[in-house]
Amino acid sequence: MAKAKPIRGLAPDTRFRDAAAAAVSVRAAEVFTFADAALDLSDIEGVHDMRVATRRLRAALEVFAPCFPRKAHAGVLKEVKALADRLGERRDPDVAIEELEAMAKEFAPADRPGVAGLVDELRAEQAVANDTVARALAEVQENGLAERLEDLAEAARA
Amino acid sequence: MRARPVKGLEPDGPFSDNARRIVKVRVDELYALAPKALDVDRPKKLHDLRIAAKRLRYVLEIARPALGKGAADGVRTAKALQQLLGDIHDCDEMLPRVQAHAADRRAADVDDLTRRAGRNARDLKPGLAPAAAGADRNRGLETLAAHLAARRRVLFARFEREWIRLEARDFRGTLLAAISPPEPEAPVPADGGAR
Repeated sequence: MAKAKPIRGLAPDTRFRDAAAAAVSVRAAEVFTFADAALDLSDIEGVHDMRVATRRLRAALEVFAPCFPRKAHAGVLKEVKALADRLGERRDPDVAIEELEAMAKEFAPADRPGVAGLVDELRAEQAVANDTVARALAEVQENGLAERLEDLAEAARA
Repeated sequence: MRARPVKGLEPDGPFSDNARRIVKVRVDELYALAPKALDVDRPKKLHDLRIAAKRLRYVLEIARPALGKGAADGVRTAKALQQLLGDIHDCDEMLPRVQAHAADRRAADVDDLTRRAGRNARDLKPGLAPAAAGADRNRGLETLAAHLAARRRVLFARFEREWIRLEARDFRGTLLAAISPPEPEAPVPADGGAR
């Protein structure tokens, strides 16, 4: 999992709204750096990194909520949550498959095909969820979510 | 679960004061949810507690530059609690899924055996059962279901012990004390404190 990028210049006496602007700006940029890797089915870490980055962004938006214009904040938060949900749908089968395969190794050989059948079912879901993530990413790009997050950060500073 | 609102936040005020206010609400929320989550038959409440632990962890992580090292222990504790509750939640999610999958496969076997018996069969020979298309696969699913149910029980017992430990070391009080503003230094007397 990628480490969170440090947010420079934050101190106890930083104005809350300036901290809000800095946190959302850094966390938003971080989310979009993982977009390509998230669609790579061969590496489960890409989607995980993007999901974690989205969670961090969502947390920043929630913690600093009073610093942003209410309407713009609500709209952006809703979209970030929706993106996080799609990434979660894609990530959950990854985790489940990994865990089930590890468990199956510990089971008696006769019991393994049962687990393998369930893993096959999850793999099918994984492929469907990947299409959903691709659509969600295309949507946030079309809707200019990255730009609106940057605008929101700027508005907090005002 | 909706987060409790935090009143009195001041966008123009210092990061540290606002962060303390949020942490206080989040840690109180965690403690308020715990008694119901400790009821083994209320997985929804356990899920709520996991979300509360996550919210506390995230605000502490975000506010670390404002709250200093005092936040670090809180992050570790909230993260460990969130992880444990997440593992229990995974069992709660996976077990019904395994059971549903097993039921589907069993239904497919029933169809298969019925077909094998033939349209005008008077009865079904028990010897046909092992020949069902999915007979071998279902066995592993029962093993998996038993494992998940038992793992859930083991993890829940661990959660009960962990919560007792957290209360014993007064996690909430210690955290709030650790992030509280430093005491203002006492003014030095004009004589430099000489007696």
